[in-house]
Amino acid sequence: MMTVTYGLLAAASVLLWRRVRWAWTLVMAALILGIVIFMQDVDFSTNLGIQL
Amino acid sequence: MSRDEGLLPDLARVLNFIGLLAMIGVLLGAYVYQFSYRELPCTLCQLQRVAMVAVAFGAAMNVMFGPDPRHYGVCLVSALLGLGVSIRQSLLHINPYFDTTTGLPTSLATSNPPFGQPVMGLHLYVWGVLLFAVVILVVGVVQLFKGQFGAMRSELDRLSGLASVGVGILALLAVAETLTTFAECGFVDCPNDGGWNWWLFG
Repeated sequence: MMTVTYGLLAAASVLLWRRVRWAWTLVMAALILGIVIFMQDVDFSTNLGIQL
Repeated sequence: MSRDEGLLPDLARVLNFIGLLAMIGVLLGAYVYQFSYRELPCTLCQLQRVAMVAVAFGAAMNVMFGPDPRHYGVCLVSALLGLGVSIRQSLLHINPYFDTTTGLPTSLATSNPPFGQPVMGLHLYVWGVLLFAVVILVVGVVQLFKGQFGAMRSELDRLSGLASVGVGILALLAVAETLTTFAECGFVDCPNDGGWNWWLFG
């Protein structure tokens, strides 16, 4: 999933370089994917009670 | 010109260009660190880089199209994600007497070693906390000057072709990150051992 996240950022950057205005929507999609990866990594079911 | 119009659009573009170059410099530094110490980035490290690329993208939008609150919004949302991730990673390693594999306290200070080599005394995730906090502060302060959101005068364009070059470098960097991340993780979860184990090369 991390590769897809970077792929979205790369596509957005290339589109921005070509002056495409809606490129930022791909960045938002990448950030949402990043939040999903982050939530999976935190593993709330085992860590939340101990670390917070 | 009223007092709150002190920051004109062309000057704001130059400041955003400097910010873009700074973020590119940090990302390149992380790349050099990765290959010189032969340590592949962990999941949380990768997420901080994602946030850095996204912050740079927000600045790049200001450079390409002129300053706009929505472009600064991309910077702020990205920096908030990066700050959350870097704080999480810093807290994971803040207590050396905590065994992360069992989730229990131990008597050994080596049970929870820091991730990676320190740079100028601080580990990269601590630098991440400072960097994203500074981005949020700077973007917040710069947005106070509403004069930058007016129409740009083309004769005052100080950047000219440099804008495309800067954004082009960002695009190249993002493509390179995609390729190296694919080589490291493929389409599965990235390894978190900090070693030199590329998924693509077995």
